[in-house]
Amino acid sequence: MNLLLPGMYFASDTALHRLDPRVKMGAALVLMALPFAARHPLGHLLVVGLVGAAVILSRAPWRALLGTLRTVFWLGLFMFFFYFFTTPGRPLITLGRVTITLEGLLAGGLQVYRLCLLAVVAALLTYTTSPLQLTHGLEAMLSPLARLGFPVRELGMVLTIALRFVPTFFEEMETLTRAQKARGVDLDSGAPWQRIRNTVPILVPLFLSAIRRAEELAVAMDARGFRSHPNRTRLYRLTLSRADGIAALIVLACSVAGMVIR
Amino acid sequence: MHIRIESLTHIYARGTPAERVALRGITLEIGPGERVGISGPTGSGKSTLVQHIAGLLTPTSGRVLLDGVPAHARTPEARARRHQVGLAFQFPEAQMFELTVFREVAFGPRRRGLDADEIAARVRWALEMVGLDPDSFAERVPFALSGGEMRRVALAGILALKPRVLILDEPTAGLDPRGRAEVLARLRAWQAETGATLILVSHHLDEMAGLVDRVVLLANGQVVADGPTCQILGNCGGLRSVGLSPPPGVALLEALQAAGWPVRTDALDIEDVISEIARCFLPTKTQRHEV
Repeated sequence: MNLLLPGMYFASDTALHRLDPRVKMGAALVLMALPFAARHPLGHLLVVGLVGAAVILSRAPWRALLGTLRTVFWLGLFMFFFYFFTTPGRPLITLGRVTITLEGLLAGGLQVYRLCLLAVVAALLTYTTSPLQLTHGLEAMLSPLARLGFPVRELGMVLTIALRFVPTFFEEMETLTRAQKARGVDLDSGAPWQRIRNTVPILVPLFLSAIRRAEELAVAMDARGFRSHPNRTRLYRLTLSRADGIAALIVLACSVAGMVIR
Repeated sequence: MHIRIESLTHIYARGTPAERVALRGITLEIGPGERVGISGPTGSGKSTLVQHIAGLLTPTSGRVLLDGVPAHARTPEARARRHQVGLAFQFPEAQMFELTVFREVAFGPRRRGLDADEIAARVRWALEMVGLDPDSFAERVPFALSGGEMRRVALAGILALKPRVLILDEPTAGLDPRGRAEVLARLRAWQAETGATLILVSHHLDEMAGLVDRVVLLANGQVVADGPTCQILGNCGGLRSVGLSPPPGVALLEALQAAGWPVRTDALDIEDVISEIARCFLPTKTQRHEV
């Protein structure tokens, strides 16, 4: 149904798309950690600037990015009010037994900002990196663990398949929701307990079809002679270009600066 | 129920790279008790259109009126209208989740808050309607049935809602010829008994022949033809131009016509095709006898 989902890949040919997946994943990790590590507002400004630049470079549609923020809306709201009400400090307003403090307001805002940045960086990574490249990059980054007997290749395969089926899964859920709505399931009204019960006619068929699909896929892979071969070679090998080096340097420099400024 | 669709446009994932226009300004009217077939190539907007009639989607622009009430509105009147529209999605057996056939068919009526006796009566009626013996099927596990039986249980689940408008999206897809014929015969019997509106979505034009009186052809989200079944199905060129293949009988008549035989091509079912061929061939045969 061509839904727009967080975590979807958009094929394109921007500077960000062309970067090596290892560099992008490393940079994403750093950018996700930085809002937690930075102490000074200038450091945060640096992070926001860097992410903003990446957004512009990726030419990702702003609607799509806003859509990903919707997925963390409830968590963000919860975190905001949690910090809002529980942080001690200078009182601003007192409503009965609840005291709202300036520190609470700031702490709540900081949490929301961190969460939004996490969501945007994660979305940017998946928007600009194909699932195949993502797993390829992950395998490359985890490859030292293979020496210790960790099944890196298998993990990569599992991850590729999981990512491949995320949009399918959502699409199917959307169709099932409409189909059960046509049979009288009302998901938008009723008591909370009733609403939870109303998801049964959607979740049961959804999991049934997911299990059936997994079985069929396993048989299809088996029929084509797939097996986890330790010496399997690849058609495309990851190579670092000059752009990758520059990107890595910029991210590294910014992260060091962000942490050093106090 | 009177269905009125006014310049309906639907765009999926608007404002994103995945944006896709499914319907472009569709205007259509379907009267009470009409039997209408909707056909068109894959991606022509058939499924989107019927989901709008059931009030499951919100139009990007334009509107769908059920007896004058917008189908997707969140008002009690609109909900009451929607309850009279039954929609069977493609592969409706994929929605089954209950552990017995009875509970599966009873699910819809139960959601409508009917009492137990009425539910039991409706389940019996619906199972009989689709040709499954209620006594032997009611307590069976739906997932252990054959494909054709599962499809019919799923359709019974819609019929048990006693809709005044029944919409079927590719009801015979993936069934063997016998299962296909069975489902179509049951639908014909159901329509004759209830006199309800029947909207059949399919790209198998030969299935439509005996079941609908009017055919609407969609292509690229627009209505490209709308008329009596025989007129639309007899127009081989028109069907081919939108990427559909004419029913085999009609294609045969067309070939005969092209070979110089004076046959008409607007034959609906196999009997019509035979009599049309007989009309042209038999006189020559008798003439030959006279000579």
